[in-house]
Amino acid sequence: MMRRRAFLGGFAVLPLVSMPLSAMEAPVKLRDLYNKDQTFSDLALSLEGQRITVDGFMAPPLKAEANFFVLTKRPMATCPFCESSADWPDDILAIYTKRTVKEIPFNVRIVTQGVLELGEMTDPDTGFVSRVRLVDAKYS
Amino acid sequence: MTLPLHVRDCVVRNRGGRVLVNVPHLDLLPGASLGIRGPSGAGKSTFLYALAGLLEGMDGEVHWGDTDLLTMSSARRASFRAANIGMIFQDFLLFEELDAAANASLAAMYLPKARRTGVKTRAMAQLAHLGLDASARSVASYSGGERQRVAIARALANEATILLADEPTASLDRAAADALIEDLVNRVRDHGTTLIAVSHDARLLDRMDRVLGLEDGQVAAGALP
Amino acid sequence: MMDLWDSLSALMQDIVLTVALLLPALILWRLVLRGFAPRPLIGALLWRFRWANALFVLLIAVSVGMGLGLLAQERGLREGTARAADKFDLVVTAPGSEITMMLATVYLQPSDVPLLDGATYQAIAAHKNVSIAAPLAFGDSFGASSVVGTTAEFVQHLSDGKIEGRLWESTAEAVIGARTPLQIGDAFEPAHGVGDAAEHDAHDADLTVVGRIGYTGTPWDRAVLVPIETIWEVHGLASGHAPGRSDQIGPPFDPDYFPGTPAIVVRADAMWANYALRSEFTRDAQTMAFFPGAVLSNLHRLMGDIRQAMSLMSLVTQCLVAASVLLGLFILSRLFMRQMALLRALGAPARFVFAVLWSYCTTLLVAGSVLGLGLGWITAMVLSRIISARTDILISARLSWTEFHYLAGFVSLMTLLSLLPALAVLRKPIVDGLRG
Repeated sequence: MMRRRAFLGGFAVLPLVSMPLSAMEAPVKLRDLYNKDQTFSDLALSLEGQRITVDGFMAPPLKAEANFFVLTKRPMATCPFCESSADWPDDILAIYTKRTVKEIPFNVRIVTQGVLELGEMTDPDTGFVSRVRLVDAKYS
Repeated sequence: MTLPLHVRDCVVRNRGGRVLVNVPHLDLLPGASLGIRGPSGAGKSTFLYALAGLLEGMDGEVHWGDTDLLTMSSARRASFRAANIGMIFQDFLLFEELDAAANASLAAMYLPKARRTGVKTRAMAQLAHLGLDASARSVASYSGGERQRVAIARALANEATILLADEPTASLDRAAADALIEDLVNRVRDHGTTLIAVSHDARLLDRMDRVLGLEDGQVAAGALP
Repeated sequence: MMDLWDSLSALMQDIVLTVALLLPALILWRLVLRGFAPRPLIGALLWRFRWANALFVLLIAVSVGMGLGLLAQERGLREGTARAADKFDLVVTAPGSEITMMLATVYLQPSDVPLLDGATYQAIAAHKNVSIAAPLAFGDSFGASSVVGTTAEFVQHLSDGKIEGRLWESTAEAVIGARTPLQIGDAFEPAHGVGDAAEHDAHDADLTVVGRIGYTGTPWDRAVLVPIETIWEVHGLASGHAPGRSDQIGPPFDPDYFPGTPAIVVRADAMWANYALRSEFTRDAQTMAFFPGAVLSNLHRLMGDIRQAMSLMSLVTQCLVAASVLLGLFILSRLFMRQMALLRALGAPARFVFAVLWSYCTTLLVAGSVLGLGLGWITAMVLSRIISARTDILISARLSWTEFHYLAGFVSLMTLLSLLPALAVLRKPIVDGLRG
């Protein structure tokens, strides 16, 4: 397990050097995907179907050993004084990963890359519905 | 393509520096046969190995034709042996798990692809010539005489023009030894192969053109006729 | 290049990675054996020392198999426990230990827990984002089976609608799990409490089994499910419904006549809603809402450290075994020193002799590894069966790409190390070898 991760890490470093500029664009902000009226923004529509980079925090996983998680703009703290659900749901993004998710603590910033999908979709395995998501994603 | 042998001031020392063999002068014409005799420990086998280019750190010259073995790297000496020299040992040194044909055509495993078929064909021909059927049974079931014939076939499968034999008859009974001597001598006579044989066997030595005596690594006085 | 890698499917990536890990071994193989045909000779060596070789292969196979088996088993355990929690998205209970509550609700491990009141249930059940809000009432048992009171809706949810027979229609009927030791039509009396101290005559109730749910691979396969009203009834509590409607089974419940429930399983279809509900129902001193998946995930993460230590240990063990085997081969190689010297005396290039020895070592290593793969598979299967039988959690440990990567890396590393004994044999002067 360790070996593999280390290897993947090593594997990932090499091509970075020759990575084209386009892939290194600044991460997309979660909020920029929506207009004020909760419709998808022009940016979201223009990026649909493309592999984009989004940064944020991994929310505590709904399921263990699953291939999805929820990306939040701010760490989903368990602070009893500042918890507010007013920002739901445009501050979160469903991420469907290429591989089984390894949990990263909710307060560690992660960068996620995946193909942007818009429109309502019901996960056939869990029955969960999401409006917008990154699929075939990886994170680090 | 048979090569003449010229040996000049050939000195082999052991790791401690003691002289094991010292042969100041030896010439052999192509197709000649030479017996080497002497008491045990006289350096006979060592001299034979020296002629095959198997030893490191020797002094003097060992020429086969234009090739000076002692100035060559071990890799080039190996390829010289592969091309020109066949070796026969007292205890045959066959691969017991392989059959006669595979033993005789051992060289096919490491020679370039283009030469493999030739080696195999010649190995089979030699086996047939020496009266061995190339059945699939492993050589473990062969008699001593049969094994030594397989070894001869192996030595000749690469078209060797030089045959170096180390006590070829010592492990055989009299009848088998006599038959083997006959085979070796015929080979020399018919193909012009150079034969150098280390032996105690008087019958073998009698059939050689010349005999070199070694005692304590030195050429015995008057041994060369 | 990175984009290309990312666009590959996980399977493709795994295949590419396996090949990449095997590549050093394959390149070495091409380089070492180029231009040679030593197979009969290697076969001869393998055959000559067949018993020692078989032992070496077995040693490697056992160490590889144990390593792979453990890796596969550990993952199987994680996946199995996760799958058992699949039907429990969000659980609301009284504040306390999330782990205790998860064990009690998801894995039916009995524990004494406080109750949630009718108002709380009402608030959850009436919430606009909630599609299922099922009370779970545990504490009673029948033999080794937990008797759990809930709603028909939850039984449907738990079984995905796979029910043999029918659901209950009165408080005297029960539905059982696939492996509960009862049959449809059997009558039984639940005991108060769980285990040896359960009071068998405390409940004056005779229940009849009317249905059986399909196999779920979870501890619920041994449970007895009854209407929650039955649990309230046998404990002499209110029925959950107003007096005039006391025959009603299932929701809606009347908060005023709701005796309480230890846990409520909540299902919300929108993914984000689960998070919203979790924060909404996590209220100080009143309720606690948690994702069993997150609790498990935390546990798995903690176990991850142990797993890494475990895989490192098994890797080290494997390498040690392989190293001792190589040492054994090195000692064994003295036995065929004469044959190797003979080959060189005949004029074989040093690389040929080297190739023969290396191929010999490599054949044993690869044979051991392949056999180890089989052993690992068997180990994982046997361990899974044992653990499944003991916990009622279906564990299906299979070998995955992780194991293949692990093995490919191991083979490559060992083929590189095999160069050493092969080199050592070459260092000996030919004539010394010939003289034996």
